[in-house]
Amino acid sequence: MTNNEEAASMEVELTEEQKVAEAQRILREDLVRNVKFLERGASESEVHYIHRAMRTTFALRKRLEHRSWASSDSPAVAKALEIAAAALGTSGGKTEGEVKACVPEVALYFGLLEYAKGSELSHALIGVVNSVQRRTVDPIAGRVFFYFSRFYEVGNSLANARPTLLSALQTATLTGMKESQATLLTLLLRNYIYYRLYEQAERLAAKTAFPTDAPNSVLARYLYYMGRIEAVQLNYTVAHTHLLEATRKAASNAATAGFQQTVHKLYVIVELLMGNIPERSLFRQAILKKPLQPYLELTQAVRIGDLAQFQSVVGQYRDKFLQDQVLVLIQRLRHNVIKAGIRSISAAYSRISLRDICYKLHLDSEEDAEYIVAKAIRDGVIDATIDHERGFVKSSEIQDVYSTSDPQQAFDKRIAFCLNLHNESVVAMRYPGRDHRKDIADVNDAVRRERELAQELASEEFDDGMDDDDMMDDGL
Amino acid sequence: MSRALSAKELTALYESTRAAMDSPSPNLDTLRSQLSKLKVGLVQIAMQNSEVATDTSYLLLKRSALELGAEFSVKVGDIPAFERYMAQLESYYFGDNLGLEESKVMYPLIGLNLLRMLSENLIADFHTTLERIDLNQILNNEFVAHPVKLEQALMEGSYKKVWQARAEVPTPEYLFFVDILMSTIRNEVASCTEKSYASLPLDDAKTVLFFSNMDELLTFAQERGWDVSPAEKKVTFPSHVENMRVFQGESIMHQTLSYARELERIV
Repeated sequence: MTNNEEAASMEVELTEEQKVAEAQRILREDLVRNVKFLERGASESEVHYIHRAMRTTFALRKRLEHRSWASSDSPAVAKALEIAAAALGTSGGKTEGEVKACVPEVALYFGLLEYAKGSELSHALIGVVNSVQRRTVDPIAGRVFFYFSRFYEVGNSLANARPTLLSALQTATLTGMKESQATLLTLLLRNYIYYRLYEQAERLAAKTAFPTDAPNSVLARYLYYMGRIEAVQLNYTVAHTHLLEATRKAASNAATAGFQQTVHKLYVIVELLMGNIPERSLFRQAILKKPLQPYLELTQAVRIGDLAQFQSVVGQYRDKFLQDQVLVLIQRLRHNVIKAGIRSISAAYSRISLRDICYKLHLDSEEDAEYIVAKAIRDGVIDATIDHERGFVKSSEIQDVYSTSDPQQAFDKRIAFCLNLHNESVVAMRYPGRDHRKDIADVNDAVRRERELAQELASEEFDDGMDDDDMMDDGL
Repeated sequence: MSRALSAKELTALYESTRAAMDSPSPNLDTLRSQLSKLKVGLVQIAMQNSEVATDTSYLLLKRSALELGAEFSVKVGDIPAFERYMAQLESYYFGDNLGLEESKVMYPLIGLNLLRMLSENLIADFHTTLERIDLNQILNNEFVAHPVKLEQALMEGSYKKVWQARAEVPTPEYLFFVDILMSTIRNEVASCTEKSYASLPLDDAKTVLFFSNMDELLTFAQERGWDVSPAEKKVTFPSHVENMRVFQGESIMHQTLSYARELERIV
């Protein structure tokens, strides 16, 4: 018996039944508390109360799985349950009327809790969402759409979800439901990429604007998909920026490990395609070390410019790369390997014959080597000249970087990044209105609330992150 | 206004056009008029009866007609038309297959389209299209593998391989685009040689740039502004010494001003 368990059994010596009863009591309390948050959010049109209720959804749903909540004794919960239950059973017009009678936020929330029931429920809930268009429904609606799409994906018919999602996106954009809009955009991008319709995905992204105040978990996913689209279309610099931001926006905890891994896999490839070598420390991080092993070996092969090793790594991990949907991208890396090889040769030799280059890089013929080196010179990979008659390559003197404007440009890039970060954080801050203060009787109370909230944040795992992880495990 | 053709007549018309197309020396003008008649007929029949439009035999006929059109446009060298036909065919090739059997000319046409993108230097479109093709087909189907290999050689700079690929085309239709590609490549090679050689003997320059006779080389050299000295039998390239040390005053000014503006906002 481990220490923890011992402590637990010492502390409260309860029978099984009592434990169950206790758990149910806590569960009930949590539900009641969330219902209060929802009602308050709905009556005061304050979205952030809704967010507070949403935060515990994932944990609550897990606890609900084994229990029925019929024995609830709070009138608010009982009412909500009744209505939610009705919504689960039928999706007729009568139900919709009933739902409207209650606070729609609460009904939807309970629908969300019972999501395990499946796609039928998701259709019923979407009907409800469409009939109620209020700003406070927004965060819940976002989740509803998320699961709606997920059910289709699991059912292997993602394309069929597209019309609903598209029309929902239109409604959300028109009514200013920012969070739903963000979620829907992300879902549609995923939908297109799933079928490798990169062109459509790109057009959708170009024609829409991602809402600025979307939650970070959605934004991170959006950035990842954008990075993917741009990488396919050879805009590596843009892709690189998107992916880097995606890794930074995603919460870094155990729940988002899957997302982090997926993003970093693509990130490594894009970095290699840009001709950079990802930092070694990236591969040492605990959550990345194992899944990124093939990518580490790939990076090593590219770094030393060994074409034979590169081919063997690709061959060895072919299935893995295929599963991660990066194999086609990796195929493009071949010429980067050659470039890296030429660069290291040029750095090491001041003069080398074409035949030696050909031999070192495992190229097919000297003529090929000559063309390849010529192209490398033109692309600015190396600074050298070829002597055709005598068949050798002569490297030019290495120019002092500090005599050029390169450092200036590098600094400019970094300064721009910092300033941008600052501006973004200013925009991200929330300034609640004055009437918010009325609720707080005295300052002490306010401080206590803040502390509670901080504790909650610290103790609860990030709900959104969990769901992300679910999705990312599919390898997309 | 001519009377709309029936389904049977349309099939017959398609068959005769197909036969005309496959004949060793087709009459292009007749073909063109037959093709447009076929297309108009297809649209008319679908407009009269909307159920027909989802019929398998109708879809099959439409796809075949489009394929015929694509082949025809390659034959007459009409690239924009080929692009249009391929855009229409895409929904047959990549969408769900509408219950049709895979077309025999699907991969040759996709390969041709890929080659078109290469020859027009639309590398991003090339890769986007490639993503939608099954990986096994990319590696093993000769029609698709050919442009893919070409692209790799192009990116590497193995222009010799690109040149050789001309001899390895899977069908003669590919030559049309490969030849366009060749002139692009020659310019590529020329810009590479300008940068990497100080001078080249005339004979070598001829082989490097894939010219078959000296006159072509001389006109080409003139176009690009190279110095040819007949006495030494040499081409000398104008040297490009870029002065990196130029003080870029204006851009630094812009940068500094933008920092000042941002800082002012922070303070």
